[in-house]
Amino acid sequence: SGTFYKRALKAVLIDLSGTLHIDDTAVPGAQEALKKLRNASVTVKFVTNTTKESKRNLLERLHRLNFDVQENEIFTSLSAARSLIEQKNHRPLLLVEDSALEDFTGIDTSEPNAVVIGLAPEHFNYQTLNKAFRMILDGAPLIAIHKARYYKRKDGLALGPGPFVTGLEYATDRKASVVGKPEKTFFMQALSDLGCSPGEAVMIGDDARDDVGGAQNAGMLGILVRSGKYREGDENKISPPPHLTCDSFPDAVEHILQNLL
Amino acid sequence: MRIPFSNMADASWPECAKCLKGVILDLCGVLYDSGEGDGVAIPGSAAAVKKLKESDLQLRFCTNETQATREKFVAKLQRLGFDISVSEVFPPAPAAIAVLKERGLRPHLLVHNGLLNEFVGVDQTNPNCVIIGDAAENFSYKNLNEAFTVLIGLEKPVLFSLGQGRYYKETDGLKLDVGVYTKALEYACDLKAEVIGKPSPTFFQSVLNDMGLQPNEVLMIGDDLVNDVGGAQHCGMKGVQVRTGKYRPSDEKHPTVKADGTVDNLAQAVDMILSQRRR
Repeated sequence: SGTFYKRALKAVLIDLSGTLHIDDTAVPGAQEALKKLRNASVTVKFVTNTTKESKRNLLERLHRLNFDVQENEIFTSLSAARSLIEQKNHRPLLLVEDSALEDFTGIDTSEPNAVVIGLAPEHFNYQTLNKAFRMILDGAPLIAIHKARYYKRKDGLALGPGPFVTGLEYATDRKASVVGKPEKTFFMQALSDLGCSPGEAVMIGDDARDDVGGAQNAGMLGILVRSGKYREGDENKISPPPHLTCDSFPDAVEHILQNLL
Repeated sequence: MRIPFSNMADASWPECAKCLKGVILDLCGVLYDSGEGDGVAIPGSAAAVKKLKESDLQLRFCTNETQATREKFVAKLQRLGFDISVSEVFPPAPAAIAVLKERGLRPHLLVHNGLLNEFVGVDQTNPNCVIIGDAAENFSYKNLNEAFTVLIGLEKPVLFSLGQGRYYKETDGLKLDVGVYTKALEYACDLKAEVIGKPSPTFFQSVLNDMGLQPNEVLMIGDDLVNDVGGAQHCGMKGVQVRTGKYRPSDEKHPTVKADGTVDNLAQAVDMILSQRRR
């Protein structure tokens, strides 16, 4: 006979793109499911690896799609970078998209002593990378918002920040601190102001490696949804496998309400 | 009684100079520092090259220079006061063109504008490989994306990297070298590039073949610990690092490569070599 220990579930982390919505279309039934989750008195946080969109942009889209979300419930890889910069008192050279700079308001960027790299094609030119290179060689830490190889553009695939971070690591013989999913620090930072440990939290997402694998590696439970970027067999690509693989966000919420609370 | 060493492998620097038959010199960082215009000759290097030529040692220049054609940068070195000719210089581009011919490949080029003339006559239509060189200002996001797009569109992507250096010194500071961008594309495409140029053993061997010498009869002098010195040692040559060019003090504590000797500059290296041979 199996003994099932019910964890005391305090928090649910929810991925955005691919899980709650696909571009400008909400996942069917997702708004209702979110309401049910809130009524069950667990804390909810929305987590994403975006480096191009500020919290305000994300919030605007979610509101347009009728999701009941507050700005302070959104935690992005940009937020994780900001937390790290504040903790360490860095003055960053911010190689991030203009639209993302908003999330760094209030951070001192004069006489920079750290390099922060996000998805920023207009900064990935020879002069700017040389500047970043010399700073890192002189001791400035290198912080990568995430290390995606490429991303999808209208005209096809285009280079992400990962290749440039890798190049600078090679040039300087130093390792970048990566703050976005699937890094453990991302999940720990997301939970840090909720007053709960990873063992009291569950993550719902469509990316087996970055969402579920990363969360489980941090000590959380992971639920993989078959929407967004999910592909047949993704659940077999991580070890241990997801706590649950289900069709979409509303199914994940049902499972939580029935089994984890 | 002095027992002469039968070959250089038995002796350490500088005594090994007694048995030398040839010297290979790196160019940038040893003879000159690149920068605005022609760059600047390193003091004492022109005289050192002259002394080597007047000796009984064979001399060749092995460079990963890919910002200009062989003819153009030899002309530049001559303007800087060096006695050097095209037939003595071994850069990566001609070696790459030979490989393309051998394997029936057509390149997409991500190189400095100054190198394009080396590839006149090479079929670049419908490319089935990418060649990346020290493109400097041409390392724009747009150009890198184009190279990336070519590679991911190929069933069998092939990437040739002309050298794999991390950085080099110009008169206005250190600059990123081709290796950095090669690593970027390797990561993006999940493939491994083939290196043409230092420190590829095939590349060093082609120079040795031209000299008609065995590795243990030849000494390499360079400023890049890993690609010049380490690369040469890997082929069986001795390697000496100069403290000019891209040299950094931390090189003398490198975890894997230990130079056979470290000297202030080429002038000092040549004086030490010739003084050993006079004894």
